[in-house]
Amino acid sequence: MDAKIWRGWDGQLLAAAFGLVAASGLAMASAASSINPELAVRHWGWSVVGLLAGLAVSRSNYLRWIDAAAALYVVSLIALLLVHVIGPTRLGATRWLSVFGFSVQPSELAKLSTALLLARYLSDQPSPLSWRTIGVSWLLAALPAGLIFTQPDLGSASIVIAMWFGLVLVAGASRRTLTALLVGCAALAPVAWQGLKAYQRDRLLVFLDPQIDPLGAGYTIIQSVIAIGSGQLWGRGWFAGTQNQLSFLPERHSDFIFSVIGEEWGLLGCLAVLALFGWLFARLARIGLEATERCGRLLAAGVLSWMGYQAFVNMGMVMGVLPVVGVPLPLVSYGGSSMITLWLALGLVHNVHRRHLH
Amino acid sequence: MAARLIRLQFIMACLLGVLALRLVHLQVIRGGHYRSLAERNRLRVVPQPAPRGLILDRRGRVLASTQTLFRVALIPQELDDLAGLLARLGPILRRSPETLHRTFLKERTYAFVPVTVASHVPKEIALQLEEERWRLPGLLVQAEAARHYPLGSTAAQLLGYLSQPTEEELPRLKPYGVQPKHLVGRAGLERFLDADLRGRPGGMVVEVNHRGRQIRLIGQRPSQPGERVTLTLDAALQSLIEQSFAAQPGAAVVLNPWTGAVLAMASTPTFSPEAFAVQDTPQVQALLTDEVNRPLVNRATLAAYQPGSIAKLATAAAALNYHVITPSTAIPCGGELTIGDRVFHCWNRDGHGPLNLSEALLHSCNVYFMTLGRWVRKDRLVAALAQAGWGRKTGWALGEQAGHLPSRRLTEGEMALLAIGQGELLATPLQVAVTAAAFATQGSLVQPWVVGSVGSRTLDGSTATRRVHWPAETFEAVRAGMIEVVRHPEGTGRRAFTPAISIAGKTGTAQTHIPDKTHAWFIGFCPVDHPRLAFAVMAEYGGSGGDLPAEIARAACEYAAATTPNPEP
Repeated sequence: MDAKIWRGWDGQLLAAAFGLVAASGLAMASAASSINPELAVRHWGWSVVGLLAGLAVSRSNYLRWIDAAAALYVVSLIALLLVHVIGPTRLGATRWLSVFGFSVQPSELAKLSTALLLARYLSDQPSPLSWRTIGVSWLLAALPAGLIFTQPDLGSASIVIAMWFGLVLVAGASRRTLTALLVGCAALAPVAWQGLKAYQRDRLLVFLDPQIDPLGAGYTIIQSVIAIGSGQLWGRGWFAGTQNQLSFLPERHSDFIFSVIGEEWGLLGCLAVLALFGWLFARLARIGLEATERCGRLLAAGVLSWMGYQAFVNMGMVMGVLPVVGVPLPLVSYGGSSMITLWLALGLVHNVHRRHLH
Repeated sequence: MAARLIRLQFIMACLLGVLALRLVHLQVIRGGHYRSLAERNRLRVVPQPAPRGLILDRRGRVLASTQTLFRVALIPQELDDLAGLLARLGPILRRSPETLHRTFLKERTYAFVPVTVASHVPKEIALQLEEERWRLPGLLVQAEAARHYPLGSTAAQLLGYLSQPTEEELPRLKPYGVQPKHLVGRAGLERFLDADLRGRPGGMVVEVNHRGRQIRLIGQRPSQPGERVTLTLDAALQSLIEQSFAAQPGAAVVLNPWTGAVLAMASTPTFSPEAFAVQDTPQVQALLTDEVNRPLVNRATLAAYQPGSIAKLATAAAALNYHVITPSTAIPCGGELTIGDRVFHCWNRDGHGPLNLSEALLHSCNVYFMTLGRWVRKDRLVAALAQAGWGRKTGWALGEQAGHLPSRRLTEGEMALLAIGQGELLATPLQVAVTAAAFATQGSLVQPWVVGSVGSRTLDGSTATRRVHWPAETFEAVRAGMIEVVRHPEGTGRRAFTPAISIAGKTGTAQTHIPDKTHAWFIGFCPVDHPRLAFAVMAEYGGSGGDLPAEIARAACEYAAATTPNPEP
């Protein structure tokens, strides 16, 4: 093979991401076998499409994407509004739009475009950030987050906010400002609580006490914790987890895929997945550190805080240490929109790396 | 900025570290505990079905309630000796061990999921099994709610019945807590008000030992019972009417002419809604496939019939409205009428002689009304029928036919036939009852309704009343004739006469496509001053309207005379 093709590639980033997708493909086969084996095949298909999309994007110039950020952002806001107007309702929430026969989740596009726009906006601002800058960036994040929140999709909305927080942190908010922001968030929590749907409140409370809703979210958490715990050190074996195969675990192909990994592959499998995430995050941070342009660095930081937060919240949820907010595990959970968006984000960060080398 | 990026990475590393520690705790330190929970799991979900709401009549009599029966289930993983257990169960359940075994094999899924082998088991047998349970491991006796209709087949088509949801319905019903084994409303009010009657099922999660005994309650959500529904129906009047039909197929509607509140809606032959509680029995198959008697069809709303002479009321109204006649105009009946080259006979071949409107109504003279039909133009006649509510749905919420009015050009002979309710004309008993109400109230065309209240919500269907804009003199003249139909010794509706209450009525005997088989109608209202009831009674291929239908109407009116009118529920 021509060695030139591999020049400028960040092998470690690709290896970590590919490792996660491979683990996901194997776990999905087992999780889907008791639901609908077709799901696994579809998931593999989306993984390949995502990988190709990521590679294609990594060959384009990410600065072009930064330039187009405002347009993309507006498009995703319009798509979010459209979902409210015409999107079909699934599982009680309106999150999908149908485009050319495919169901698309505009909230995924919103995450990516918000990351790009915030990176662009904050890269032009002097450090430490002024309150005005923080306010404007907050509005840029809160607008899509608010629209996603009312779908209702608390999980995705919180990802946008977490991404904003990570970017503001890296772009240079002073320690005093960050403290003030955290205190402000804590003070606003009771207000946000009022805005939640009854089932969302139940799910948040369930992690404090699974008894509150033993048939709904509490039941899921109880079964998920049993599944992970019963995996012990070595796991019960691929396709051999009873919690998974006997359908005790709901949503085991999407939000609760990590419970299947915990049950069937044990502590060793779980730690391997955690290590792959750690490796991926380290590479994202490294690319950010080595980036020559400020906006490239911020883009890497944005994607890092997005994926890091999402992974932590998902795994914390299935282990019963965080509330049930319903976010998928990045690159591992079932879902075409999410898989492709994450690969696009990784492709852009990879392009930051390639440009820095040239 | 670089330092801050390193700090962000440090935060991520810490978060992953926290997760790793939690994993060690779950999988290594507590791993053995969770492994045993997973293996012997086990946690069992015990559903607590929500009791379905009661359906009551206007006087609070129970039409549909919920009774507790029992379900016998086996838990595969806890069975020691299946053959021995079935041999013991067989005689107690009065079923052969082989049948039970077949059911068990058919329904079995996972080792820990109880398999129902017998449902609708009465309490005495359940108690007997419960006593023996300690030496029959794997046996589970669970309470199950069963719909009970205390009045049996009374108002069966109106109430409807319950049965298990189909594969297509399940996805739609799942968010409401409906499981494949639950029963959902399948017809009539049980279906129309299903969401209200259903309530919300709850349940418990319990940890059980190897004998299936509960060790610990993990949590529970109480069930919410369904709403109580009160109907405008009068159950006593309803059963009186159904019994009067005996074996005769037919339908009857009795309603409050001012509000449209339905007091009785009978359709015979009827059926027992409880038969549907157990699936695929020969009884259910017989009910579903009876194409001759069609017991499941509500004939009062879903079947349209030739009306016959009851249409003469509208013919008379059209003639009076357009001043074609006055009430005292006399038209001679010679027993036949020649139109073109066709001869139409009166039912009385000897002829009635000269008749005014009232006399023509009481004798139901065909020649008189065919003559009116020729004098009133066709579109005016059809318009009068439409104004009286025919050819259009009444607004009944549970499904109805619109009936039929002719829209094409009619020959003069067809016109004459239309004037006496023959030919291209169909109406449902409900439509006809609404027409009777319009004559009772001098023009209120009510929308019939039957649900008085659901839970604490009071429904009032009487707001949708339309009006028939005919002069008061028209109503007065027709009403005078309807009174004579019953009161006059020679009236066709004489058998409806009772000293107990004054009744206005009109008979109808409609020719059908079967020679010598006629549909028999009697419609009207009572008492003639300030009417409380309007009714339509129809006997399918039942001979003459002056016979059984008139007698059923008399029974209904006598019931009304004997009971005090009470306000709408």
